[in-house]
Amino acid sequence: MYELILLLILLSLGYVVGQHAERRHYRSILQREERLNSLPAIASRYPPSEPHYHQALVTGSTVISVDYFKRFLAALRSLFGGRITAYESLLDRARRESLLRMKQQASALGASMVFNVKYETASISKGRGNSIGSVEVLAYGTALIAPRDR
Amino acid sequence: MKYRNPRIPEGINVSDRHPLRELLTLAGGALVLLVLLSWLMGQFGGRLARLLPFEHEVALAPVSMLRSDAGPELQAYLERLSTRVSGQLDLPSGMQIHLNLDGGDTFNAFATLGGNIVLYRGLLEHLTHENALVMLLAHEMAHVRHRDPIVGIGQGVAIQALIGLLIGDPSLAVLGSAGLYTQLHYTREMEREADTAALAAVQGVYGHIHGAEDLFRVIQARRENSGGGEMPAILNSHPLDRQRLAAIADLARARGWSGAGQTTPLPRGFDAWMKDAAGRAAAVERQR
Repeated sequence: MYELILLLILLSLGYVVGQHAERRHYRSILQREERLNSLPAIASRYPPSEPHYHQALVTGSTVISVDYFKRFLAALRSLFGGRITAYESLLDRARRESLLRMKQQASALGASMVFNVKYETASISKGRGNSIGSVEVLAYGTALIAPRDR
Repeated sequence: MKYRNPRIPEGINVSDRHPLRELLTLAGGALVLLVLLSWLMGQFGGRLARLLPFEHEVALAPVSMLRSDAGPELQAYLERLSTRVSGQLDLPSGMQIHLNLDGGDTFNAFATLGGNIVLYRGLLEHLTHENALVMLLAHEMAHVRHRDPIVGIGQGVAIQALIGLLIGDPSLAVLGSAGLYTQLHYTREMEREADTAALAAVQGVYGHIHGAEDLFRVIQARRENSGGGEMPAILNSHPLDRQRLAAIADLARARGWSGAGQTTPLPRGFDAWMKDAAGRAAAVERQR
């Protein structure tokens, strides 16, 4: 009985806090995406040859952890199979946040765009059975900085 | 070439399905699955347990919990009654009944593993004549005859094992827990069949069934007095007393048993025997 109450408390706490954080985060993501839209992130490996850009590696990394509610939902989902929608929004946020951080770095360097953008993910808690699931999402690319004398 | 990031519409990589709706659907599904699996495991466990020969069931009896506070006269009287009932119930050879009279106040009686029947003074002293006592004995002995205790435990263990596996704690130490034996849970069907067999036994012993239903009247009166508190095992999952009384009447009519007849009084010393048993129980309590 005690465990059941604990479970319910953790679930509702996870839900309320998690949902609140998610809404706030999405608002912030949308704002910053709008602001940094002038600095495009391009997947292509072939940057324009003219003018002779300076190049710099830029990275943006986010580490996320799953809240109790989402973990519970995902565990239930694993019984039946199908999309784990609870994780989708979490990973979407992580990807976009990483890209934004990368762009922010590029913007600080005075870059006009970032080329060869790639994502990497790594599971931090891999292999540790019952520990909290944490994932890193890393976005990196080559910032192209226009020469100053021009 | 112009490089730019177009605005991508929201909601492509994420689902807009409400998480609470998802939770309800999944938890509901899981619950249905669990109930279904438990039921299947229970059936399986019960069937498997029934295959255990009675001689081996005896070894599982919770001997340490059992004792009889009855004096020699009371014990002999109860044994005599049970022998008469045994003949009616057609117990297989080797199915030995052991009567344990507990001198405690508990209003209860139950059958457990190995042909052990526990009768409490708290229930017995409410019975007004022998016919009701024989009905009680026959009911519990019918449980033994039908192998209900081992089937009940088989079901319980199977379900416990399933739950244990699901929550990742597959400890099968349940057979060691003493509580299981006294809280045996019989299905309504088991109870109904025990009632039927017991009534037939009463008819066989006395040639009529008059007085048998008084057992349920006593139980009903007790239930009404106690205001629906903790129910003794004999009432657990029982058809309601009134339905039970009606079922007795129906059965008697269908089989042509007579409801008219003389009830046999309890032996003259019965009240004294009960007091004696209560005294022995109190002495055992003091020693602890």
